[in-house]
Amino acid sequence: MSAALSAMKHVRGFDPAKPFGLGLVILLMLPLVLLPLASIFIFGTSSGLRSFWAALMAPDAIFALKLSVVTSFYATVFNVVFGLLAAYVLSRYTFFGRTAIIVTISLPTAIPTAVAGFALLLLWGKYGMIGQYVSEEHQIMFTPYAIILANIFVTFPLAFGVLMSVFETMDKSLEEASATIGATRWQTFWHVTLPSLRGAIVTGALLTFARAIGEFGSTILVSGNLAGSTQTAPLYIFAKFNEGQVEAANAVAVVLALFSFAIFSFLFFARDWIEAK
Amino acid sequence: MLPEKLPEDSDTARAASPPAAASVSGLSKSFKGVRVLEDVSFDVGEGEALVLLGASGSGKTTILRIIAGLELPDAGRVFIHGRDVTDTPARERGVGIIFQSYALFPRMTVEENVGYGLRIRGRPRRERREKVESLLELVHLTDQRKKLPSQLSGGQQQRVAIARTLAYEPQMLLFDEPFGALDAQIRVRLRREIRALLRDINVPALFITHDQEEALELGDRIAVLHAGHLEQIGTPEEVYNRPETEYVATFLGAANLLLGVVAPGRRVELGAVALEAGAEAARFREGQSVKLVFRPEDVRVSKSGELPADCNPLANGVVEEKHFVGAYERLSVRLDLVARAPRPGEPPLYEISEAPERRLGVPVIVTRAKPEAAATPLRVGERVTLCLASFRVLPNFPLASERGGRVH
Repeated sequence: MSAALSAMKHVRGFDPAKPFGLGLVILLMLPLVLLPLASIFIFGTSSGLRSFWAALMAPDAIFALKLSVVTSFYATVFNVVFGLLAAYVLSRYTFFGRTAIIVTISLPTAIPTAVAGFALLLLWGKYGMIGQYVSEEHQIMFTPYAIILANIFVTFPLAFGVLMSVFETMDKSLEEASATIGATRWQTFWHVTLPSLRGAIVTGALLTFARAIGEFGSTILVSGNLAGSTQTAPLYIFAKFNEGQVEAANAVAVVLALFSFAIFSFLFFARDWIEAK
Repeated sequence: MLPEKLPEDSDTARAASPPAAASVSGLSKSFKGVRVLEDVSFDVGEGEALVLLGASGSGKTTILRIIAGLELPDAGRVFIHGRDVTDTPARERGVGIIFQSYALFPRMTVEENVGYGLRIRGRPRRERREKVESLLELVHLTDQRKKLPSQLSGGQQQRVAIARTLAYEPQMLLFDEPFGALDAQIRVRLRREIRALLRDINVPALFITHDQEEALELGDRIAVLHAGHLEQIGTPEEVYNRPETEYVATFLGAANLLLGVVAPGRRVELGAVALEAGAEAARFREGQSVKLVFRPEDVRVSKSGELPADCNPLANGVVEEKHFVGAYERLSVRLDLVARAPRPGEPPLYEISEAPERRLGVPVIVTRAKPEAAATPLRVGERVTLCLASFRVLPNFPLASERGGRVH
């Protein structure tokens, strides 16, 4: 590597592509990514940590963060369990319509989240295709269940995609060996397949969680956006900003941003470690 | 010619007619409309090692997977110890596979891998520990017990794979290209080790390989497969010395092939010369087109024209090339077979190129062991007389499938 680089220098002399190219990339990144993120933190601490803390400790803010975490958690559990099931069935069996199912499952990635939320409303809403047959007290739209439903709709393809790709590239002879040794399907799955999927499960879960906790487009339609009842953290940020309470919005934004950093760093740095374990 | 000369080796005697430990009959299989197996039947005797030998795409892996229960045949049955297991799931067959990749469980240690079969059968911890202990001793891996498969060499991984299957006392062992992933020197050592191990544990084994040397060394018997057909099955001596088809003759070792016609008096006419073929020729009707097949090492060369008594004179020729190949010397001798002028309208037997004085005739390959090469040294350009110590006369079809009614 270094030999190749120095050889290039020898041939061409000073290479302007490196400093200029690098400078351009950094100049682009600065206003696009780094400065906006930095501004949250700069603004959040500009009027002192005390007021930041007070804004964060407002009951509605805490509720919104909690609601986001809880709904994202249930969506994650659902995605991992059913993502595993779907990926297992779709990678281990061949049947008519297999590709159609895979495409359908992956479709929500391409659908705008606002459309997804709207579609859920049309189906489950009080006057929706199914919702109209559901009694008043069992309506799920504008409840936390609607948020979970929207989260699952939007994030399931992420978990499924990660798990499916690992299932498909897995060495099938491991499972075959286990079967010839005398293991039942379940024993093979538990002792052989699942351990190989550990990294993919963690990745799929974290991706789901990170995506779900920031979900805005679909939740704003299906949740009702009631402060202290169905308002998630991103909705809280939006609402407070609309009300002109920038400090309140910013406090929650800082927490969400830190949270995303944590998950992202974990995915980036700790995955190899989990895989190797 | 040859049957009387078959050496009475212990291997031959052992494989004479053992009771079948496993057998397949009439196996056929297609994948997406492509026939990969066509009516394949054979037995594996008790304690016998059978090698399925074939090029890639010959269907040998499919046979192994069908026996293991990982693939269903379109037609045919699989029997293990007399029990029809064709519809039995893999896990109830009690067959052990050693995969080419070994398929060791990457997150289990060596002893966990070996103990897996007992663990899923819910055997008590003590019994498991003792069994694993003795198996690790058997395959000389006691020191490596706590390691993960990725920390072992290829040969060690293979021994773990073998121990892992032996733990549940399989009724049969299947080896899928067991030495394919190893380098040449280790390969030779390992197959001797496995051969010795199999003798100890007396479990019937089926090997799959495309390596003829491996097949000859590992197998009590060899089954040669080509394009889903069983070409020939027999002891290594039978298959090597008495190939039944041209494909078998050329796939297992080197062979010279000369096109000929059966002539009166049990002779085979090869262009200008006729060879006394005895019983070999008696199997064909007169005028039938045949191929004379002989191994390079079965050719005797004489400068004086004096030939050994038990050697069938073939023809004269000119030494054209001479190579020293280590253990033996390889000669290319051009036989004077087409000195005869073709009859009017008859196509020439062989293409004659632009340099007739040199290119006339057919080249054959002759190998001579060191002592013989040293006793009568030969130079390029010298004229010699050739005779055959043994040979086969085969129908002029390369494959078994083209002979009978099963022509495609």
